[in-house]
Amino acid sequence: MKSYYKPLILIALIALGLTSSVQAALPIEQLDSFHGAKGYLVQTKTLPMLDIEISIDAGSRYDPSTKSGLASLTGGLLNKGVRSSKGTLTEDQIADQVADLGADLSVGVTGERALIRIRCLSRSDIRDRAVGLARQILSNPSYEPTVINREKQRISAGLLEAETKPDFVLDRRFRKAIYGDYPLGNAMTVKSIAGLTASELKQFHQQFYRSDRVIVSMVGDVNRAEAQEIVQTLVNDLPQSGPVIPPLPELLRSPIESIADREVQIPFDSQQAHIAMGMTAIARNNPDYFPLMVGNYALGGGGFVSRLMNEVREKRGLAYSVFSYFVPGQDNGIFQAGLQTKNDQASMALDVMTENIAQFIAKGPTQSELDAAKANLVNGFPLRIDNNRKLLDNVSSIAWNGLPLNTLDTWTEQVNAVTRDQIETAFQKYLAMDRMKIVVLGAKQ
Amino acid sequence: MRHYLQLLFFGFLVTSQFALGASTQSSDDTHEYFLSNGLKLIIREDHRAPTVAHMVWYRAGSMDEFNGTTGVAHVLEHMMFKGTDKIKAGEFSRLVAAEGGRENAFTSRDYTAFFQQVEKSKLNKVMELEADRMVNLNFDDAEFTKEIQVVMEERRLRTEDNPDSLLNESLMATAFMSSPYRHPVIGWMNDLINMKASDARQWYQHWYAPNNATVVISGDVDPEQIHRLVEKYYGGIQAHALPVRKPQLEPEQKGVKQVHVKAPADGAQLVMAWKVPHLQPDDINNDEPYALELLAAVLDGYDNARLNRELVKQERLADNVDAQYDMISRGPALFIVGADLAKGKTVAQAEAGIRKALAEVANKGVLDSELKRIQTRLLSNQVYKRDSIFGQAMEIGGFEMAGFSWKDLDTVLERMQKITPVQVQAVAKKYLLDTTLTIAILDPQARQSTKAEAQK
Repeated sequence: MKSYYKPLILIALIALGLTSSVQAALPIEQLDSFHGAKGYLVQTKTLPMLDIEISIDAGSRYDPSTKSGLASLTGGLLNKGVRSSKGTLTEDQIADQVADLGADLSVGVTGERALIRIRCLSRSDIRDRAVGLARQILSNPSYEPTVINREKQRISAGLLEAETKPDFVLDRRFRKAIYGDYPLGNAMTVKSIAGLTASELKQFHQQFYRSDRVIVSMVGDVNRAEAQEIVQTLVNDLPQSGPVIPPLPELLRSPIESIADREVQIPFDSQQAHIAMGMTAIARNNPDYFPLMVGNYALGGGGFVSRLMNEVREKRGLAYSVFSYFVPGQDNGIFQAGLQTKNDQASMALDVMTENIAQFIAKGPTQSELDAAKANLVNGFPLRIDNNRKLLDNVSSIAWNGLPLNTLDTWTEQVNAVTRDQIETAFQKYLAMDRMKIVVLGAKQ
Repeated sequence: MRHYLQLLFFGFLVTSQFALGASTQSSDDTHEYFLSNGLKLIIREDHRAPTVAHMVWYRAGSMDEFNGTTGVAHVLEHMMFKGTDKIKAGEFSRLVAAEGGRENAFTSRDYTAFFQQVEKSKLNKVMELEADRMVNLNFDDAEFTKEIQVVMEERRLRTEDNPDSLLNESLMATAFMSSPYRHPVIGWMNDLINMKASDARQWYQHWYAPNNATVVISGDVDPEQIHRLVEKYYGGIQAHALPVRKPQLEPEQKGVKQVHVKAPADGAQLVMAWKVPHLQPDDINNDEPYALELLAAVLDGYDNARLNRELVKQERLADNVDAQYDMISRGPALFIVGADLAKGKTVAQAEAGIRKALAEVANKGVLDSELKRIQTRLLSNQVYKRDSIFGQAMEIGGFEMAGFSWKDLDTVLERMQKITPVQVQAVAKKYLLDTTLTIAILDPQARQSTKAEAQK
């Protein structure tokens, strides 16, 4: 599902939301740490269901340079079979048990973390069985060679297919331009996937899947004591320590470069040119987060009312989708803007986008743009937390990024406090046109 | 998973949320009213959070279009943001945004809908705006000229450069000879190129009327108060006669049809689509559509369902498979099985694998445990669905547009729970026959552009 074809990450990013009445009644409770694992809970009693997200500090940024895909495969195969002294479960048995419980269980890996998500009814017998399954897949994945080989084949096929897609090719090249030698610049390839072995997956699991690298976030119909027990159950079979984990390299600020060094053209015979522009920016806990976030709403984050949308789409009809966003996490994330347009309009569209971003960095938003941004963000706060799923996203993000537990309570206040000067200063501090990487795929020269 | 059921969003794209039908809800929470101008109002109370979803559904989608102006339903959806006598172009979105609202719109074969989500005290304002554009839309030719360019960019993005969409488009155009379901919702490019502002205006004049609309409101609301509000804003709009909807029935298919699509891709794809019945509003006790829904779920409803287990995991014929059937629609239904072929496998091998899996159901039936698993899932989904105010309004609107009542949701769920393995086997045997089969094959082509550069 895509809003103006923006990546979903944008929605997650803005998901750190809002005001008062609702979350005053729904505080985030911090549970006691167990074996180093942290737990957070928001109790919502109106529906007999429970959502759990387990974050493990085991994302793709830990991939060795020649082993891209290691973290993804390690995490992605968690639910494809378990083996322990207590017995074995095949992937089929796991899938059948999840289905018989009427539960959802999914696994995935992002740049920063591995994630297990569970949704189940809160009835204690169902909940206990779902949590028990999650404990097994988290602790004892079996990494059967036949399953690994099959998944490698599927991933390779998916990669080869993706390489025929303009958005994927653009994104991969853009990430390489931005991240350079930082591990997130190395996307997995057919070759890197082919080289991964069962013993490497097991070793990565041993090294990174430790209780002190786990955060459990919960939203739903459980009390504090039950939630505490869930955290203990989930991580009880994990080791608390393991082999040393080398520190991540520093992600350096995008350098000042000539346009010739910053701009990449990729020939591609699609009907549309795809354009991406951006640079490294900030981590989520940066004090300038709010000025940048509010400012970006006015620039290219505010959907139909953003300046980029107005200039590129509404005034000129150049594109269906145009956007900008920051992706801040534990790491310094990126700023990115982009659009797609008919090939022969690419340079015109790029000019319009570039001029508007440059002007915004130079002068910030107008007062009316700032007022409009605040009005939307503040008035719309309740929509950010009006169901369990959205609450879970917020709780998990607060926990992962080490933000204050009252972040939701102070959110609108912080939005309201942002001034034009702060936005202008922050945009100039973190962004600069002569540091922006530009990747253009498919335009006819 | 590919999206065979085309639903175009002004902003975003989702797969059908109604695939497994059924969300039940005690009727105490849901309220229905009719205004004297023919507008139907449905209110779903949900007091979990102080927010509201406000939707207007028009029973006019691409199946109401004719050749030459395909895509006009969706084009008009775009033009609905281009101003009224009081609100100038672009102002609608700005005013909704100022209220903190999220808004969008979507067009399908069966309907066009517009929505806003807001904090509950803002409902008044967005309702006033939405009611205004039901009757006072007033866009100029210059706005149309820019917006049709945007729609063509949308088509390039979603279809021209997307082999999955191209395959789906050819599948529908091949399966249906006469039914308007053969046209893509976004329209054929040639029709977009030749679209005139007057086409969009005429569409608006024909179909946008209170007697062709259903307002669905879900969230933290008092139904009586909302009823009064809806009367205030929508009540004064005049009903008018709608164009006659000619049946445009699809003639009976007499044998296998096949279409090949050459498009830039790496792997081949195979789609097999059978014409099957769908649920009729006046025959809601017909068990066959329910059995077909459950058949699709037995084949592809969970991680270890039959198609994935047999074709992906055991026989390695495919890297991905799916089965789709939507019993809730205005037009004719297809039962669709699709596969992304594994490297080195031929279309013939994949087809044989799919046929074998389906023949197993037809000849040997399904296990009680398989069906029970799906039915358990349907029940837990009833709870999960309540988590989303927006999702509840979507489900109600989708049902209503296909000619059902939201009250039928309970019946649908009950009947789904009572379907037996024998009934699932029976529909597999009766309907998955070659006489009504259309096969679409994606024949992958290398792009002209250099792969080496792309891989840098």
